[in-house]
Amino acid sequence: MAASHHPNYKKIYLTLVILLAISVAGPFIGIKWVTIITAFGIAFVKANMVIQNFMHLKWERRIAKYVLAASGALLLLFYYGVAPDVQAHRGQHWVNDDALAATARGIPAPHGSEGGEAAHDEPSGGGSDGSPAAPAAAAAAAAESTAAPNAFNARAAFAANCSPCHGTGGRGDGVVAAALNPRPANFADPAFWRSRTDAVLIRTIQGGGAAVGKSASMPAWSSLLSEAQAADMVAYLKTLSH
Amino acid sequence: MSHRPMATDRSATGIPTGRLAVWWVLASEIVIFGGLLASYLMHRLGHPEWANATAVTNTWIGAFNTLVLLSSSFTAVLGHQAAEKGDGRQAARYLYMTMGGAATFILVKTYEWGHEIAAGYTITSNGFWSFYYTAAGLHALHVIAGAIIMGIVARDAARGRNLHRVELIGIYWHFVDVVWIFLFPLLYIAK
Repeated sequence: MAASHHPNYKKIYLTLVILLAISVAGPFIGIKWVTIITAFGIAFVKANMVIQNFMHLKWERRIAKYVLAASGALLLLFYYGVAPDVQAHRGQHWVNDDALAATARGIPAPHGSEGGEAAHDEPSGGGSDGSPAAPAAAAAAAAESTAAPNAFNARAAFAANCSPCHGTGGRGDGVVAAALNPRPANFADPAFWRSRTDAVLIRTIQGGGAAVGKSASMPAWSSLLSEAQAADMVAYLKTLSH
Repeated sequence: MSHRPMATDRSATGIPTGRLAVWWVLASEIVIFGGLLASYLMHRLGHPEWANATAVTNTWIGAFNTLVLLSSSFTAVLGHQAAEKGDGRQAARYLYMTMGGAATFILVKTYEWGHEIAAGYTITSNGFWSFYYTAAGLHALHVIAGAIIMGIVARDAARGRNLHRVELIGIYWHFVDVVWIFLFPLLYIAK
């Protein structure tokens, strides 16, 4: 029978509390990689301390460790063997339109878009560079369009749907841009306009990046924009280039 | 002092039968929670817009509950130590404290969820909230189940019976603590 081992539990407990305090303080420094280390790095350290000292795995027979490790290994094998096929948004020969659309829908819009989600997002949207400016842009655009109230308003549509990735100024620096690879297109870049015709851009807007062999992170907007409206959008994008 | 003999050692493993069974339970729990958390992580990376939802969760409430669970793990392991010394009454007292931690955890969770649901964030709001309520809910069920079993073990321990079970429920409890240690940064800190 395993002999009883009892380390200094009070010391371990205090260490755990201090580590908890560090993991809470981490995000206040405001550096992303520091937060990742203080959040997840410390979680692993804490979990290991609890497992070794409180669960006594440190003094347990090897077979128990093998049982747990085998379980974890099988989980990783089966999970990550399958997950990329069902959870990624696109593969070599397919694109998950619904997932991409959900991503686009969930991004804060100045006006309520799908059901209650946009309303939920608004209180949290502040602070990021894209969202506070978006309502202002939409309001300005609304004032402009009083002459033809039903006319398609490319500027408002851009602020609502495109700015989260492409940025309010169209420079490819939206809130979400950092998470995307490749980065969203920068419409202020002359090179961008040299390499594309209007027809290609209309096709990109309507069919998404995948339709023209570009990144599938660019969703298809054909359900929202007609071809004429996509053409209006291209005209608006050109105003962003200078 | 009637310190009853621990369950007979398995000749093949050298681990008392009851404890070996707990390790097997935890092996299956690893797959349940591991799959859920891995799934959350994959979705979180694929959905940058979830950052809007995670910004709503209250880090302080999450941190307080982490402290509660760490403290309850501390009292659970002190109960184990007392049981090994043959002091069933003391072991039971520590287990009751651990149950107090479980009750605190659930009360705080009730308050937290009540506010979030009242604000309109429900399990069907979007993918993030579905994961939030599923993962934290499954964890909360484990807290409740653990506290009930702990009550039975503590009642026995107070009478000096089945003292080896104090360690067994403790191992399970520490696992529930470990799951929360990972849920906390995933749901509250990684904004």
